[in-house]
Amino acid sequence: MAVADPGVEVVDSSDPEEDGSTDVARVGTSSHSISKNGSPTKHQNGSVMMVADRYGFIGGSQYTKPEEEYRIPIEKLRKRELKWLEMFENWEKWMSKRFRKVKDRCRKGIPPSLRSRAWQFLCGSKFLMEHNKGRYEEYLRRPSDPKCEEDIKKDLHRQFPQHEMFTSKGGYGQEDLYCILKAYTVHNPHDGYCQAQAPIAAVLLMHMPAEQAFWCLVSICEKYLPGYYSPGLEAVQVDGDVLFGLLKKTQPTVHKHLKKQQIAPILYMTEWFMCLFTRTLPWACVLRVWDMFFCEGVKVMFRVGLVLFRLVFGDGGKLAQCPTLYETLEKIRKLPLHQLDEENIVQETLRLNINERDMEKEHQKQIQRRKPKEKKKSTKHKS
Amino acid sequence: MSYAYLFKYIIIGDTGVGKSCLLLQFTDKRFQPVHDLTIGVEFGARMITIDGKQIKLQIWDTAGQESFRSITRSYYRGAAGALLVYDITRRDTFNHLTTWLEDARQHSNSNMVIMLIGNKSDLEARRDVKKEEGEAFAREHGLIFMETSAKTAANVEEAFINTAKEIYQKIQDGVFDINNEANGIKIGPQHSPSNPNMPSPAGGGSQGGGCC
Repeated sequence: MAVADPGVEVVDSSDPEEDGSTDVARVGTSSHSISKNGSPTKHQNGSVMMVADRYGFIGGSQYTKPEEEYRIPIEKLRKRELKWLEMFENWEKWMSKRFRKVKDRCRKGIPPSLRSRAWQFLCGSKFLMEHNKGRYEEYLRRPSDPKCEEDIKKDLHRQFPQHEMFTSKGGYGQEDLYCILKAYTVHNPHDGYCQAQAPIAAVLLMHMPAEQAFWCLVSICEKYLPGYYSPGLEAVQVDGDVLFGLLKKTQPTVHKHLKKQQIAPILYMTEWFMCLFTRTLPWACVLRVWDMFFCEGVKVMFRVGLVLFRLVFGDGGKLAQCPTLYETLEKIRKLPLHQLDEENIVQETLRLNINERDMEKEHQKQIQRRKPKEKKKSTKHKS
Repeated sequence: MSYAYLFKYIIIGDTGVGKSCLLLQFTDKRFQPVHDLTIGVEFGARMITIDGKQIKLQIWDTAGQESFRSITRSYYRGAAGALLVYDITRRDTFNHLTTWLEDARQHSNSNMVIMLIGNKSDLEARRDVKKEEGEAFAREHGLIFMETSAKTAANVEEAFINTAKEIYQKIQDGVFDINNEANGIKIGPQHSPSNPNMPSPAGGGSQGGGCC
């Protein structure tokens, strides 16, 4: 587990609830849900055209129906924007002296208009880019491993194909995606290209220009999730075990059930963690999770993972419907998305009875557990 | 829906050879050229009939990229059948078959039935691997072989069903111990081994089979 706290946490006593509640207004009446099938179409002058949702999706499981999305009241949004602008002005000070406040504000959700900037401030990619002027361009000019290049090319049309930026082959979205993934393989030839980096890069590109997205990607891969995209995926497997260990604390009956059915964590958490939930959660949730992730690091992923388990199995009553591994996995993979609204998920993650110490302890435990295992394995091979 | 047996399959092969498309064609009878790439593992299931018996296929579709190999290995556990896929328009995907096969043999049970699949047979003009080469490789390594097209659905049904037939035959011959779930076979809920209509279980054990 790589907890990437970009700043030192200092208790801040002032300003208890800066802008009141975290309530958001709901547009429409039904609960937040996802359009399952197909893209919306609109007849205009007799022609049929695709209409993208506010995030740029024209269909698929990520599409958000306009009548079911949440909108923050405009006055509140403006207030939040001003606060963020003020933070940008004195970023160092905020991070070193009032990190707790920054964290609270990330948990409330970064205003969409400033999200791109905030992410770059939070993950330090702004700094990286400024200190590496011209580097990205240079990476693009330099030759890269042809195998990586070929793998990347094969994946370009397989990233959010229902997002307007990535629908067309050779479109600017796919082209930029190619550039930043290729640049990364030059930047880090040891890790090269891992397929799970592509959705991350694509989400970054939905928010910022290629060069900025590249440095953000560097920060995620090196600072937030070191080892996640390295050959062997060792770090992901360790975090899978950590997640499973934490589950024992939050939902012992579910933990016991999974253990009995020998369901390895990598069967369900690989995509969750490696793609930072981008292919799992409704889009509004994805963004809120990313807001917290950039501020607090990988521990956010664990919390979200645990909340998803709670959502799927409650206190274990639903386990009876899962007599074998197949039903259990099916349940985990078919999340009750209609129950997932972004505010809810954020609040649920904060309600978990798991703290940073628990995570650190579990992480150490899993590291220790893996050590003898590896030894055993190597002796087994020799025999 | 009740079934006599459940077989676990795993689909393996290089990235971009069409593993997920084969699965979708088989389970949903459609071709989706544009889809999110597979990270980790995806699942599919379908019921088929062999010898008048309902068989449920539970199919695990894996990520093809080398980085994922270490975790793909853990998916082999308890698989009764494997579809090893290459792309007939890309020779490198054919060249990597030996590595895939080694992996499969090392991490699965020795009776696992392996079907070699040369996919994208609709792209004849871009063919890079001759059908005879696929046949020769399969012969040499004791695999069943078919060329398929996930796009036109050619041979897709056959590939999945023939694999099941082979597994079924192995059960009849007593090669598979159906009471050992590690073999990737489970007996359906109402078909316990004491049921006179069922083939007698190999390997002796007379305790009830797992339910599903």
